[in-house]
Amino acid sequence: MGWEEWLISTIGRALAYGTPLLWGTLGEVYAERSGVVNLGVEGMMAIGAFSAFAVAQSTGNPGLGILVAAAAGGGAALIHAFLTVTLRANQYVSGLALTMFGLGLSGLLGRGWEGIPLKHPLSPVTVPGLAEIPVLGPMLFQNQSIITYLGLVLAVVLWVLLYRTRWGITLRSVGESPATADALGVNVYLVRYLAVILGGILAGVAGGYLSVEYRPAWTEGMTGGMGWIVIALTIFVAWDPVQAIGGAVLFGALYHLSYRLQPWVAPELLKLMPYAAAIIVLTFVGLGGAQRRRGAPGALGVPYARGEK
Amino acid sequence: MRKGLKIAAIVAAVAGLSTLGLAAETVKVGFIYVGPIGDYGWSHAHNVAREICEEHFPWLETVYVESVPEGEVETYIDQLVRQGCDIVFTTSFGFMDGTYAAALRYPEVVLAHCSGFMRAPNLATYMADFYQVYYLNGLMAGALTKTGKVAYVGAFPIPEVKRHLNAFAIGVREVNPQAEVHVRWIYEWFNPAAAKEAAEALVAEGCDVFAFTEDSPTVVQVAAEHGLPSFGHYSPMYDFAPDYVVSGQLVHWEAIYLDFLQKVHDGIYTNENLEHVDYWWLLSQKAVEVGAKPGMMINPVFEDDLKAYSVDHPVFGKISAYDLVMTRYNQMADPGVTFDPFHGPIYDRKGILRVPEGMWMSVDALITLEWAVEGVVGPWPGEP
Repeated sequence: MGWEEWLISTIGRALAYGTPLLWGTLGEVYAERSGVVNLGVEGMMAIGAFSAFAVAQSTGNPGLGILVAAAAGGGAALIHAFLTVTLRANQYVSGLALTMFGLGLSGLLGRGWEGIPLKHPLSPVTVPGLAEIPVLGPMLFQNQSIITYLGLVLAVVLWVLLYRTRWGITLRSVGESPATADALGVNVYLVRYLAVILGGILAGVAGGYLSVEYRPAWTEGMTGGMGWIVIALTIFVAWDPVQAIGGAVLFGALYHLSYRLQPWVAPELLKLMPYAAAIIVLTFVGLGGAQRRRGAPGALGVPYARGEK
Repeated sequence: MRKGLKIAAIVAAVAGLSTLGLAAETVKVGFIYVGPIGDYGWSHAHNVAREICEEHFPWLETVYVESVPEGEVETYIDQLVRQGCDIVFTTSFGFMDGTYAAALRYPEVVLAHCSGFMRAPNLATYMADFYQVYYLNGLMAGALTKTGKVAYVGAFPIPEVKRHLNAFAIGVREVNPQAEVHVRWIYEWFNPAAAKEAAEALVAEGCDVFAFTEDSPTVVQVAAEHGLPSFGHYSPMYDFAPDYVVSGQLVHWEAIYLDFLQKVHDGIYTNENLEHVDYWWLLSQKAVEVGAKPGMMINPVFEDDLKAYSVDHPVFGKISAYDLVMTRYNQMADPGVTFDPFHGPIYDRKGILRVPEGMWMSVDALITLEWAVEGVVGPWPGEP
């Protein structure tokens, strides 16, 4: 087995495992760009995973399952938006509650759906022509998920929206200084609602990918903490949609390698690598001044109330 | 007033007796699970058994609590006792200390702890163990591998999993002395994503038959995606890959629960005589089963391959893998067990003699086993 084989399998697996991380992170980036932290990603993913599985199994249509997962994730995020934007509840508390709620609800509704294989999972695709390119072909274009490709395209689209359009400026201004944005006539509440709901929709898709493609079955708690990696990744990639691709692939690769390299490197060490990377980045972010440069939204985590200072 | 108290005490005493099942109307039993019952693995299997028991005994009433953190088991035992439970089952190794402490505090309650070793007059232990089943699966895996590399995705490198892995490897090597069993650990009992990536890593390493310890059908699904055979774990996983699941390990906790509850109900077991009650139930007690699903020991898809694979066996001479599996199964499933996978001589992979010629391992030795047999390749934390 030469280096090509290692490269192909590592990048191939990194993309597969990184896909839900990418979708989740893109969603959280947008929510946080509007100034709202949503720690409910794990819960929204769980709701997405269950609803995608239930719908795909009942209708035989995995694509429909993903759409419903998106809607369910968006619906769950709406709760968070209502609590934190309208009622100005503590964002961290509300997010944690959403995670518990999502895990609990999906577990409850999922009774009776576990232990059943999905009849029609979303099949991986091989891109004709491109798959023939040596090394690059098998690495990127063989047996990958359509959701992986959509996620990559979406990351670029969201980047352009954020940095190159009026909408993006509006969103960022709401996250930086809602009072200023408000004074300029921006509807801060509406922008935050939309950003949080978009975050939920993308988290829902991430969950749906897990249950109809990555591992086509439903099991309670199957998101296995991915939602928390997403929270860390969002900071890790400096709230940048395109950097999110790199972050998700890096975490995916580390995750895969933690099993691949077990015979040679202590598994405990490999397992903590992604988290260690996150902690290191968080440390640097936390060291004063760095926050500006890393691009953390100025009003992140602060509820906005009109007329208050 | 005094009299009133006395009567109350007598009533309470009678009620106490009846709660022990002696005057038996209903017996209330509480189950404490470490995972969610929807895990389709360990906790799910205990819960299925609970339902069977409730169905079976008209005098039985059950309650359960799920996803109980291991350190908090005592609180939940308190809660169940307050709810009026006469018997409490705690079903995770990590519940052991808490269950023991509770047993001392509630001498009138019957407790039973799964997979541990601490007992008391009112605390029994029980376990349905898979090592014989893994050995039989290993015989099949050794015959089916073409690359000579068999995969095992392990949960934690603890004696229980090591025992199963060793038994599996002994089976593999009995039919295929050159074959290797490649191991990856995921350090979780339940984590589909970890199981998936560990299995993919083993695929990349060239393994072509899969066994595992993890509470989801993930490894079976990954193997099937690559067109490779696998062995189900814990729950029936045949439906997840009908063309690729060769066989597997199935549990029947109800075998133990029914026996235990009947004996408590009949007054054979009480809160005073459980000090030496330790169920270590295997194939011959029908607490475990070999199969891809109940009643299907070997998937018919693989029958021909196993019959065609010939082994030059030191005991049976020329024998097909299929016949060897059946012979060994009968030797172990028969009430007078005449064979054990861990029979000497067994050398560990460092060349140290672990089981002398002609000897079997004791249960105590089995539940504290830490070494790896010859043929196991990969990390082995805690290797002596």
